[in-house]
Amino acid sequence: MRFLELCKRNLKETYRDPLSLGFLLGFPLVFMLLFGLAFSGETTPTYSLGVLDQDQSEISQAFVDEALATAFEITPYDNSSQALEDLKAGDLRAYITIPQGFGEQVYQNWQGESENIALDITYDESDLIVKEQVISMIDAVTRSFARIEVPVTLNTSPIHIESEITYIDFIAPGIIIFGLLILIPTSARMMVRDKEKGVLARLLTTPTRPWEFISSYSLCLFAVGIVQIIIFIVIAYLMGMDIVGNAGLVFLVFALTALCSIGIGMIIASLSKSENQADPLSWLIAMPVAMLSGCWFSIEMMPPWLQSIAHAFPFSHSIEASRGILSRGTGFEAVASDFLFLVIWTVIVFAAGILLFRRKMTI
Amino acid sequence: MSKLNSNTLAIQIFALTKRFDSLIAVNGIDLGIGKGELFSLLGPNGAGKTTTINMLCCLLKPTSGTVSIMGYDIMKEPFRVKELIGVAPQETTISEHLNSWENLSLIGRVHRIGSKELKQRSEELLETVGLLERAKDRVGKFSGGMKRRLNLIMALVPDPEILFLDEPTLGLDPQSRRAIWDYIAELKGKKTILLTTHYLEEADVLSDRVGIIDEGKIVALGTTDELKKSISETNTMIISAENLSAEAIDGLRTSDRYAEIDNVSGKLKVSGKDLNFREVIDYLYSQDVTIYSAALEQPTLEDVFLKITGKELRE
Repeated sequence: MRFLELCKRNLKETYRDPLSLGFLLGFPLVFMLLFGLAFSGETTPTYSLGVLDQDQSEISQAFVDEALATAFEITPYDNSSQALEDLKAGDLRAYITIPQGFGEQVYQNWQGESENIALDITYDESDLIVKEQVISMIDAVTRSFARIEVPVTLNTSPIHIESEITYIDFIAPGIIIFGLLILIPTSARMMVRDKEKGVLARLLTTPTRPWEFISSYSLCLFAVGIVQIIIFIVIAYLMGMDIVGNAGLVFLVFALTALCSIGIGMIIASLSKSENQADPLSWLIAMPVAMLSGCWFSIEMMPPWLQSIAHAFPFSHSIEASRGILSRGTGFEAVASDFLFLVIWTVIVFAAGILLFRRKMTI
Repeated sequence: MSKLNSNTLAIQIFALTKRFDSLIAVNGIDLGIGKGELFSLLGPNGAGKTTTINMLCCLLKPTSGTVSIMGYDIMKEPFRVKELIGVAPQETTISEHLNSWENLSLIGRVHRIGSKELKQRSEELLETVGLLERAKDRVGKFSGGMKRRLNLIMALVPDPEILFLDEPTLGLDPQSRRAIWDYIAELKGKKTILLTTHYLEEADVLSDRVGIIDEGKIVALGTTDELKKSISETNTMIISAENLSAEAIDGLRTSDRYAEIDNVSGKLKVSGKDLNFREVIDYLYSQDVTIYSAALEQPTLEDVFLKITGKELRE
């Protein structure tokens, strides 16, 4: 197989070059470590949360003391008007109302009957980032405690979270996808370097077909991507990210995302003449797409029209799917549409890459 | 062309033209290269040599014109053509982090050559160009000359019928250049070789035929001897002598057979259309001139080039 031979050559060129290998493996390592350190452990921001316990059962007490207290600084309230006042004054980030019957509902869940649980959360919506964190934390803590999805989310599969909920659970998938988006400049660089040095031209005088070139580069980059994904997941896990769902499934999401990035990189390489052209072009694509796709903050904060643009790219789907699987234990059926979207994108990107290569590089 | 019919032609080029925006790099080249012939395209930098080669090895789309290689049209059946050719590009294009074996085997493998054959051929080739001892070293550490030699044998791994060598000795020291010439000379007759160069000596030493290319056009075509003869209607001899008296020289001047007679720093230069070597020597003897040496001056390809294009052919 020609493309395997070419791929072997590409791999050798990569791992025998300490600088490029250092970048390819060192980058995700340092990147994820820094990120994990910034968002895990002692430095997790503690938010003050008001609690209005209308249930007053043993279970609701336990929920406040053992679950909510692990993530928040708790202030108990007797009536909502006082809590609202404190929220407006900025003393609270949010307050939560535990309705009557909460204990009974949770008990039912523990008995294995799936009951919906209702919690009212009032929060300061002007602080968007905090809003997101607080709600996701309450969400996670409650699910962990009650062993069920809270009704605000669509997923219905019960989950078990043993560990303490940290912000990293929420943010890690986005950061990993961002790491995989960087495969766009990496791939573009690998191919365009050979183009610039004339190695590609020489190989183009051999009977190698365009698809064989594209596959050889992609396969090599995919191997790099797989190693990067492993580094990302391992470090994120060590930093406290929970893997609630199927690890294989989330790996598949990341792998498809990596392929998609590689394909986009191939397109950029086909369109550029030199590394000097390919590099800025690929960053110019990777950075806005990362922002738009919600790598750093949730796209739900964006205006609807921008959200629809974001959803047209595969990466917002990867983030949603991986976040669902990682922290909610979402199964394949629930992320099937995201999967399909990723697969379609990957196929289109590679088809376009091969066509462009044929048009631009050969007669 | 007239001597060769299409059955014996390896490369047939008709009205080949390549235009880059406003620049016409190759301007309607017609050329036939016979099987087993070593043909040199000689021309200054920017004359269109590399553009021509790039079109022939399917890297560049011609603006117009056709090329067929062993009967296959380069536009219609590029992959057929690519199976038959070996190319050593002008820039040394090797994978720097691979060793010589790996570089050779990459090219061999994409040409689907079996492992055993590949190993044997690689070894032969490495041996021939003196790289066998360093074959396991990464080529990134090689000198320019070594890289060039590897670049050349990479074109030969697939045992191609047709070989394109684009400036195979560009920028090399005389010793390495000589080694490559020796090797190319060995291949002569076994392969059809199209070589581009702007070194006159290279074209002179190696080629069966030379085409002089200037501003995208082939301005002269023939064997080196034919080309030299075509420009020199007069013969010139140079004589180094003692006792060269003014009378003796004047005696030569009286004969209208000699168009030009110069005496510069003890060297007498005599030229004329019907110059007779023996006659001049005999005459000078009769004048008691002591002759140290006498020789007919051969026109060089440089002279040919200068005469045809009006340009010096220098780097």
